[in-house]
Amino acid sequence: MAVRRLRPLLSTALVAAITALTIAPLLYMVVVSFMPRGESTTLPTPLWPSHWSGENYYELLVRRSIDGAWFDYRIVPALVNSLAIAAIATALGLLLTVPAGYAFAKLRFRGRARLLQILIGSLIVPGQVAMLPLFLIFKELGLVNSYAGVILPSLAGIFAILFVRQATLAIPDEMIDAARIDGAGEVRIFVSIVLPLLTPIVVTLALFLFLGSWNDFLWPLIVLADQHLYTLPVAIAAIGREHAADGELMMAAAVVTTMPVLLLFLALQRYYLTGLLGGSIKG
Amino acid sequence: MTRQERAAWLFTAPVLAIIALVFVLPTSLALALSVTDYSIYALADWSNLRFVGLGNFTELLSTPLFWRALGNTMLFAGIGVPMAIGTSLFTALLLDDVTVRWKPLWRVLLFAPYVTSVVATAVVWRILFNERFGLINRALGAIGIAPVDWLGDPHLSIPAILIFVTWKIFGYNMIVFTAALSAVPGELIEAARLDGAGRWGRFRHVTLPAIGPTLLLATVMSVAGFLQIFAEPYVMTQGGPAQSTTTVLYFMFDEGFKWWNLGQASAVAFILFLMILAVTLVQTRIGRRYEWL
Amino acid sequence: MGAGISEGGWTRRAMLSAVPVIGLAGCQARADHRPLSLWAMSYEGDYSPLLIPAFTAATGLDVEVQSLPTTASHEKLLTAFAGGALPDVLMLFNSWVHEFATIGAIAPVTRPALLAQMVPGILASTRVAGRDFAVPWSVAPQVQFYRRDILAAAGWDAAPSDWAGWRAMAKAVKRRRPDDYVFLMLLNWPTALITMLVQAGATMLRDRDTRGAFQTPEARAAFAYYVSLYTDGYAPMALSTEIQDPVAAFAAGYCAVWPSGPTTLVDFTRRADILPRERWSTARLPAPDGPGAVSGLASSLCVSTQTRRPDAAWALVRHLTSIPSELRYQRLIGNLPARIDAYQSPQLATAVLRPFAEQMHQPATLPPVIEWERIQIEIQYAAERIVRGVQTMDAALAALDDRVDRLLAKRRALLDAGAIA
Repeated sequence: MAVRRLRPLLSTALVAAITALTIAPLLYMVVVSFMPRGESTTLPTPLWPSHWSGENYYELLVRRSIDGAWFDYRIVPALVNSLAIAAIATALGLLLTVPAGYAFAKLRFRGRARLLQILIGSLIVPGQVAMLPLFLIFKELGLVNSYAGVILPSLAGIFAILFVRQATLAIPDEMIDAARIDGAGEVRIFVSIVLPLLTPIVVTLALFLFLGSWNDFLWPLIVLADQHLYTLPVAIAAIGREHAADGELMMAAAVVTTMPVLLLFLALQRYYLTGLLGGSIKG
Repeated sequence: MTRQERAAWLFTAPVLAIIALVFVLPTSLALALSVTDYSIYALADWSNLRFVGLGNFTELLSTPLFWRALGNTMLFAGIGVPMAIGTSLFTALLLDDVTVRWKPLWRVLLFAPYVTSVVATAVVWRILFNERFGLINRALGAIGIAPVDWLGDPHLSIPAILIFVTWKIFGYNMIVFTAALSAVPGELIEAARLDGAGRWGRFRHVTLPAIGPTLLLATVMSVAGFLQIFAEPYVMTQGGPAQSTTTVLYFMFDEGFKWWNLGQASAVAFILFLMILAVTLVQTRIGRRYEWL
Repeated sequence: MGAGISEGGWTRRAMLSAVPVIGLAGCQARADHRPLSLWAMSYEGDYSPLLIPAFTAATGLDVEVQSLPTTASHEKLLTAFAGGALPDVLMLFNSWVHEFATIGAIAPVTRPALLAQMVPGILASTRVAGRDFAVPWSVAPQVQFYRRDILAAAGWDAAPSDWAGWRAMAKAVKRRRPDDYVFLMLLNWPTALITMLVQAGATMLRDRDTRGAFQTPEARAAFAYYVSLYTDGYAPMALSTEIQDPVAAFAAGYCAVWPSGPTTLVDFTRRADILPRERWSTARLPAPDGPGAVSGLASSLCVSTQTRRPDAAWALVRHLTSIPSELRYQRLIGNLPARIDAYQSPQLATAVLRPFAEQMHQPATLPPVIEWERIQIEIQYAAERIVRGVQTMDAALAALDDRVDRLLAKRRALLDAGAIA
C-alpha cells in the first residue's frame, strides 16, 4: 500500500528534478545578468549575486554621451528591428501560407498533386544550398542590406503550407460544399467558414513563424551590413565576439534576447502546444 | 478555369512565386556555380571566371579539412540524434505515466529552451562550460570530478556542444511523442499486462510499434537537422579547437561567405544535399521494412 | 583574422566608461544628407567616435562609426563589397590592403599630401602595383610585456632578447611556478608564429609567391621553437575563447610574459589596481640572435570605391590621420602615430614606449598575395595540430604546403596567363 501511495510522489519528483535541471541554465542566465561586473569569474563560482545590480542592463541598453560622442551597443534599436521584422514576417507568412495550405487541401485545381509532390520533396533540400546564389540575386535586386532582404526568404514557407494543409484535411468537405450551394464565393468560404475552424492552427503557426524569424541568425548575419538594421541575434553575436570576457554583460544581452519570446510562448502556450499536440491532449 | 480553380491560384500563386524566387531559382543557380571556379578573383573581374566541370568536387575530395568536417558532422549526427531523440522519448514516457501530477506545467517548462535563440543561449552555455569558473565544473567538482576543459579539448568539444543542442531542442520532439503516446490504446497495454508482459515487454511490443511512424519521422528530421548544424559551433567555438567542431555547413560558410569561393562552396552544398537525400532514403526504406510507413 | 588585437575586451569597456568628459561637444551642424559611414575594428572601432566631434564641427558633416568585431571583420568587409554595401571609409589591417585593392574595393590615394611624412617603410605594405591605396593610421608593433617581479625572482632583471635566453628564462620561471605558465600566446592568434617565421628567415612562399615553402630548414626551426614552448609547458594550449580576461590572467601571474601591442599599455594603466605599475615592463620581442623584424598590426584608412561622396570621405581620412588626431588616439588607445612629425611630441618620448618606437622601424615584410589572410590562418591551424599532437611536424608541414599550393592555384593560373602581375 505504501508503495502505491508513494508512486505519484516519486514519479512527480523525478519529472520535477529533470525540469529543474532543464530550467537551471535559464535561471542562472537571469541571476548572473544581475551580478556586479566581474563577479561571475571569481572562485568559487557564485550561485547568487552578492548584491543585485542593474549596471549590466544600464550599460547594455542606455545610450551615453562621452566627450561629445555617443556610445551604445545598439541593443534597443536591434530589439525594435527584431520585433518589426518578426511581426512583418509573421503577418505576411500567415497571409501567404494559410490560404495556400487550404487550397492544397480543399480546392481542386490542375497540377495540384504534382505541385504537392514537389513541395514535399523539396523539404529535404537544405536551405543553405540556395543561400549563396540568393545573395547574388538579392544584390542585383538591390535587396542586400535591407529588411526586405531578411524577410523575403522566410516567406517561402513550404513547411507552413504543408502544416496548414494537414490540419485543413480534417475539416469535412460537406461544410464547404454546403456553403457553395448557398452561393458563397470561395474567398468568403475561406474567410468566414474555414479560418475560424483553423484558429488554433493559425496561432501555432504564427508563433512558429515569429520564433523562426526572431531566432534566425545566419541569413541576417550575411545580408545585413549596416548596424542600423541588425537584428538581436546578429547584434549579440557581434558584441559576444569582442566582449566574451564580460560574462555579466553577455548574460544581460541573452536575457534581453530570450525573454520576449519566452513570455510570448508562455502567454500563448495553451494554443501552441495544443496545436502541436494535434488536439489529442487537453490542457 | 472554374471558380474554384481561380480561387486556388489566387491562394497559391503568391507563395509559389516567392518559393520560385528565393528557393528554386537559387538552387538551380547553385548547381551552375558548382561547376565554375567563382572565387575572389571573379568577384574582382568576371573575366576571371572559368568552367571547371567536376573540378570543385574532385578538389574537395582531396582536401583534408573537408573530410574532417565530414567526419565531425557524422559525429554530430551519430551521437546527437540518439541523444536528442532518446532524451525526448525518455521525458515523454515519464510524462505519460498516469501517476505524474501537474503535467501541463512540466510540459511548458521542459519546452521552454526550444523557443530561445541559439545565439543567446550559446552565450549562456559557453559560460556554464568554462573550465575555471563554469557552473558545470563546479557541480562536477562537488562530486569529486576534476575540472573538464569542455570547449578547449578537441575530444570533448563535440560532446559539449551536443549537450547544449540536446537541451535546446529535446522539448519539441517530447511534445510530438507525447501526442503519439496518448494515441496508444490503453486497452492494448492493459491486455499485454494481463498476458504477463513486463514493463520493457509492453514498451517493446505495444508502445514502440504504435509510435513507430512518429519516431521515424522525428528521426529523419533530426538527422537532417544535425547534418546542417552550424550556428552552435559558430557561436560557441568558432569551429575549433583544432577544427574539431568545423562541420560541413561551417566549412561551406567559410568557403562561401568568408573567402568567397562560391564555386567550391556550392559544391559543398550539393554534397550536403546528397548526404541528406541518401540518409532520408535509407531511413524511409527501413521504415517500410518494419511497416511503419 | 587580423589576429591578436581583440584581447582585453573587458578592459576596453572599462576604459570607455572611464573616459572623462572633457572638451566641448562641438556645434552639431546638421548636414542635409545621410552621415558619412566609417567602419573600424578593435580599439580603433570603439574609440573612433571620440575623434568625430572635431570633424563635424569643422565640416558640418556627420559621421556614423560602426565597430566591427575583429574576428569576423574580414568576411564582413568582403561580403559588404560583394553586396555593394561598403561604407564610405573603412579601416583595413595593412596586410589586407593588397587583397582589397586587387578586387577593386578601395580607391587609390590621389592626394599625395595625405601620405607626407610617413614613418619610413610603412607605406611598403599598402602599395599595390606602384600605387598607394591606404593612408597609414594606427601602428601597433608587438613587444613583450613581462612581469618584473616574477622574472626577478627567477634571476632575470629584464626579458631576454634571443630565443635561447627566452627558453632558459622560461625554464627557470616554470621551475618556481609549476602550476602557472610563462608565455601568453593563444593558439588561434597567428602573429607570434608569423613573427618567428620571419625572424628565422623563412620566406614562407616560393616561385613568385605561388607555392608554399614551409618545409625549409628555416620554417622548421621556427615551427619547432614555437611548438616546444607549448609541449614543454611554458605556454597554455588555449584559445582566445578560453582566456576570457588576459589582463587579469597576467596580473594573477598565470603568465609572466605576454607578447602584445601598445593597446595593452592602456589596459594595464587602467587596471593598475590589480597590476601595479612597478610589476611590469616592456622589451622588444626576441629573435634567434637579438631583436629583429616583427609582424605588426598596423592599420590604415581607405576610401571605398562604392562611396558616393569621395571628397567628404577623403576629408574624413585627412582628419583622422592628422597629427592632432593621431596623438589624441595614442592617448586613448595606445597605438602609435604613423606620421614621423608626431614623434617630436613629448607624449611619445617615454621609456615604456621606446621598444614600440624602435620596433615600428623594423616591420616584417609579408608575401604580397591576396590569399595571405587565409594562408596565415592555415599556418596557425597547422601549428595548433602539431601542438595538440594531432599531427607530427613532418605531416603537418607537408599538409600545409599542399594546402597553400591549392589556395594559390588560381593565382598560379592567372600569373601564367599573364592576367595579373
